[in-house]
Amino acid sequence: MTAPSVLLAVDIGGTFTDLVALDTDTGRIAVEKLLTSYPDPSLAVLDGVRSLLERAGLSADGMRYVVHGTTLITNTLIERKGAVTALLATAGFRDAIEIGNEGRYDMYDLALRKPAPLAERRLRFDVPERMLADGRVHQPLDKDHLRQVCAQLRAEPVEAVAICFLHAYTNPAHESAAQAIVSESLPGVAISASHQVAPGMREYPRASTTIANAYVQPIIDRYLERVEAGLKASGIAAPLNIMLSSGGTTTVAASRDFPIRLVESGPAGGALAGLHWGRLLGQSDVLAFDMGGTTAKAALTRAGELAISHQSEVAHVHRFKRGSGLPLMVPMIEMIEIGAGGGSIAHLNALGLPAVGPESAGSAPGPAAYGAGGTRPTVTDADLLLGYLNPDYFAGGDIALDRDAAQAAFTELSAALDLPLERTAWGVHQLVNENMAAAARVHAAERGLEIRRYCMVATGGAGPAHACGVAGGLGIGRIIIPPLAGVASAFGFLTAPIAFDFTRSYVSRLDELNLGELNGILADLERDGRRIVEAAGVAAGDIKVSLNIDMRYVGQGYEVRVPFPMDRLTERHIADMRQVFETEYRAFYGQLADGVPIEAVNWRILISGPQPQVASAVFDEAQSANDEPVACRPARFAAELAPLAIPVYRREQLSASWTAAGPCIIEEAASTTVVRPGWSAQVAAGSCLLLTRVGGGKNMEWAKT
Amino acid sequence: MIDPITLEVIWSRLISVVDEQAAALIHSSFTTVVREAGDLSAGVFDRAGNMIAQSVTGTPGHINTMANCVRNYVAPNYPIDSLDPGDTLITNDPWEASGHLFDLTIVSPVFYRRRGVAWFASTCHAVDIGGATMGGDARSLYEEGLAIPLMKLFRGGEVNQQLIDIIRANVRVPDQVIGDIYAQEVGNQVGARKLIEMLEEYNLPDIEAVSGQILDRSEAALRSAIRGLPDGVYGNTISIDGFDEPLTIACEIAVRGDMLSVDYAGSSSQVARGINVVLNYTHAYTTYTLMAALAPGIPNNEGAFRPIEVRAPRGSILNCTRPAPVSARHLIGHFVSQPLLTALSEVLPEQVIANGSAGLWNTMMDGLDENGREFAYVFFSAGGMGAGHNRDGLSATAFPSGIMGVPVEAIETAAPLLMRRRELRVDSGGAGRFRGGLGQVMELEIITGAPANHSCMYDRTGNPAQGLLGGKSGAAGDVRLSDGSQPHPKSHYVLRPGQRVLLKLPGGGGYGEPFQRDPQRVLEDVKQGYITLAAAKRDYGVVIDADTMSIDAAATATLREEPKK
Repeated sequence: MTAPSVLLAVDIGGTFTDLVALDTDTGRIAVEKLLTSYPDPSLAVLDGVRSLLERAGLSADGMRYVVHGTTLITNTLIERKGAVTALLATAGFRDAIEIGNEGRYDMYDLALRKPAPLAERRLRFDVPERMLADGRVHQPLDKDHLRQVCAQLRAEPVEAVAICFLHAYTNPAHESAAQAIVSESLPGVAISASHQVAPGMREYPRASTTIANAYVQPIIDRYLERVEAGLKASGIAAPLNIMLSSGGTTTVAASRDFPIRLVESGPAGGALAGLHWGRLLGQSDVLAFDMGGTTAKAALTRAGELAISHQSEVAHVHRFKRGSGLPLMVPMIEMIEIGAGGGSIAHLNALGLPAVGPESAGSAPGPAAYGAGGTRPTVTDADLLLGYLNPDYFAGGDIALDRDAAQAAFTELSAALDLPLERTAWGVHQLVNENMAAAARVHAAERGLEIRRYCMVATGGAGPAHACGVAGGLGIGRIIIPPLAGVASAFGFLTAPIAFDFTRSYVSRLDELNLGELNGILADLERDGRRIVEAAGVAAGDIKVSLNIDMRYVGQGYEVRVPFPMDRLTERHIADMRQVFETEYRAFYGQLADGVPIEAVNWRILISGPQPQVASAVFDEAQSANDEPVACRPARFAAELAPLAIPVYRREQLSASWTAAGPCIIEEAASTTVVRPGWSAQVAAGSCLLLTRVGGGKNMEWAKT
Repeated sequence: MIDPITLEVIWSRLISVVDEQAAALIHSSFTTVVREAGDLSAGVFDRAGNMIAQSVTGTPGHINTMANCVRNYVAPNYPIDSLDPGDTLITNDPWEASGHLFDLTIVSPVFYRRRGVAWFASTCHAVDIGGATMGGDARSLYEEGLAIPLMKLFRGGEVNQQLIDIIRANVRVPDQVIGDIYAQEVGNQVGARKLIEMLEEYNLPDIEAVSGQILDRSEAALRSAIRGLPDGVYGNTISIDGFDEPLTIACEIAVRGDMLSVDYAGSSSQVARGINVVLNYTHAYTTYTLMAALAPGIPNNEGAFRPIEVRAPRGSILNCTRPAPVSARHLIGHFVSQPLLTALSEVLPEQVIANGSAGLWNTMMDGLDENGREFAYVFFSAGGMGAGHNRDGLSATAFPSGIMGVPVEAIETAAPLLMRRRELRVDSGGAGRFRGGLGQVMELEIITGAPANHSCMYDRTGNPAQGLLGGKSGAAGDVRLSDGSQPHPKSHYVLRPGQRVLLKLPGGGGYGEPFQRDPQRVLEDVKQGYITLAAAKRDYGVVIDADTMSIDAAATATLREEPKK
């Protein structure tokens, strides 16, 4: 028997459960999509696995490993369906998560609401103990008091306990001792300690993260147990790995300890897929852009890798208002999400100017053109009126689009603006593009990245129709439309290396670093990481260890992250650290703060296995190749211009040598690619479509809106 | 004439440009007061100095004063055509800018095709500006620190080293102050670069046409909101602590057609302590409060200021004259929001909220650290907000200020202080059908082994936040040392090692009759520890059995029917 060669990815989304199997020997890929099962999502997973194996003629013992990602964590937090969770806090600080940052996320909203803490106040307890900012013990842990609290908790239906003590990120001794006492006093209760879950300064986000971890732990625990058992029952003995929001995968055991690191793993898969296709076509600066029915998401690479952030929010009170969610400090692929999708509704704002979103018609009733009761003008309606969408081949013909309904929906808006209908539709299309471009631009600016240099990888139902417009607004000249757009996240999981990262806050000026102590800490982190990664099936010799250091000038509050070779650190490394910091800082801010000492704050170690090789992926042979247009239809590409009759191609029929100049349209079941005038299109490696701006100059037609 | 779609595309783009400006400023800042507290503003202005767009981060006291400063002071004195590329201006004049010397306003013209086309400006709170430290003690402006008249900070890209040297010699923590000045300049330059990219992309010579239309539309939208109010005069008067004796803030809002004017006649006269407010600052919080209540969707810009007229008698606490001391002007200035909202409750009962803690509590500590180096540290804390017609007030939340609190761990990392506790203050929310937000309790000590100077800037210790439409007052604030003594809430004293200071921040006022509060909500408040059992009975007429934690329905009904004392 040959060695197992099949990798299987499973992505549970809110609506669909997607599965992708890749045979690494043959490069063949098989895909399955089914509705997510509620209340037990593991049922659909197991159904899907059975059906996929059967259809693709794969055997259960040919499986090398299974990668699993899920929105279960995010949904549990949004729907507030987690475990009853208690908080143990340094005496006097149990309200830190309710006091929050004392700010209002919308200055003009007098009726503003804040997210309620996941641990209600009556379950938040004071524990006498105190560390100082430098890690010295100011007041020892009162163990007797803690035991009394535990006794009190036994009378409550508490399923999870979060421990968050002040300055535990510099000295975790009290949290560790408390952890031991709680687990002894409350057997069977899930325990999360802040120095393990989110070891960084700022008690509010750290406590929020720790509580969220505890809150989802019992739920994810039960769920993973069912999936594991189910796979075994299906005859799959291969290890189950779990997708992390940071873009790596890890063992079931490690994800049970830190389930909050699984939050948003689906979008992480989408970003990984973008990176994969970009690399396949030789691009290292990649903007992964996904536009669906309600939202658009974007992720940017930095120095060829997806940027990781440790500050994010989840379960927003106002979905698109920064500051209205629960703060999280976990490694996560940095992503922006805005309320712009095919279902986004166009309306007039307070100034009487047109605006698009964030309100969305969603999938029910959906855009007016769906004919399912929607009457307000949406982005999809605009795209239909502009001639971009084929009313008879939307979602592969599953949804018939009604042009008259779209027209009716736009009548009122165009009358209010005193503009012709098509001009209004063009404006809505342009506005939603500018909204997405603006979000990407600010995001890039906050990180000092030059977005014009990037290559966009566009996915999602609406992404390929808007890619040229958004790219134009960003000055981007290359776009990849990858295959498998319908299951992009699951496919991305297959490209994820097995990896786990640890962070330790160890604040010290570079010229005062205690190298002995630091080397000890880093060695401990490396050892813990190796253990997890080896348990997930990576051979010791294949493990790669990398180090990132967050540094800043003494007195600053935001750090600059620099990669640094992982090695036993010696005096000579310190000058190198200073140099890489200054290089990065100058790139970011343009000038150095001369004479101010530099300090290192966080030390992040990433332990990873090799990147799975999926570059050879092949798809079902194209049916009869046909490089000729299948139709011709009128479409508009600027406000005043009359509609052009433009050729329409069918994607799955195109041969590997197909090329065409824009404007043209390429249809497939999952989406429609719109190639604007001034762009050209071709089939490229890996069955991708590659769109290139001709001449590479400014996109003047964009400028005229 | 630009069509509405193009206008909206460019306008959205301008907002993203000022957000990029603010992001660059915040990320390169050297102080927690800017980074964590968000004590800043950033905006873009047309050639004449009219503010068009502001960044989403910021606080009203800075945004709206910055708008007046650039239009009325910077642009007239240094017309954009008289400047050169690489020039940047700076000032901290309290009357022309944001009301006290601590706030540095830094303004840079943008040049495109060799012509000045716009301005970027930001205002940030400097950690120190010399003089007596922040607080209300000073008897005149001259004691409050270094004044910087409008002058060039950069000349053709060269920094004005003499000015930098003067600032350096006057402030306690020069690296932080100078570092933030550079951060403001970085923000302005990032904004300028992005604006030029935008002009190139859209082939525009400048932003005059866009500015004109956005301002006109903002003005028209606000006028239409004002027209929705019945004509009339609506007034309210409140008492606040003042420095040595209580002060009165009286307001009268007159609505006539699409014009609205606010007159603060009847308010107290200016005092010989640093709590006086310049008209610019009064104007800022007045327009902000009115916008939030009347028209929260309309962008805050020059156009939206036009239909609102703000008057206060010269020499009054809300329109003080030089050289009145003004250092802690926000202690009074934040309070103009309170009578304004109460006055509007007559016509907009569902759009306003009860009075709240209002004035931020500013704690400033300075002294020598363990190594004998000077330290100076300031942080802001919020009490409770007032309740609304269908919701409880927010606890420990800043209003009307847009400034945020700082994590204890950040405070203790930056300064030799130890916070013994920081928690919600039980029973501090004013009773009502909807309860006022809770204040918070903080206990602080110094850990250097040496005494430190504690400057207090605290209000509502004598005059609590009033409830609305039958709601009760929130709890008043309190400042007390561990030996039982009470320092002056707006002065400074020496905090000795081993001594602790206990700060109890005020709660927000309630909305509607407390006896109309749903007993289940009262029970829930007791369970969560937001109110005590005794308060449930006394303030809400809800009797709860302490053992079963359930409502005694009969006893509650009887109590609630009794005529109230």
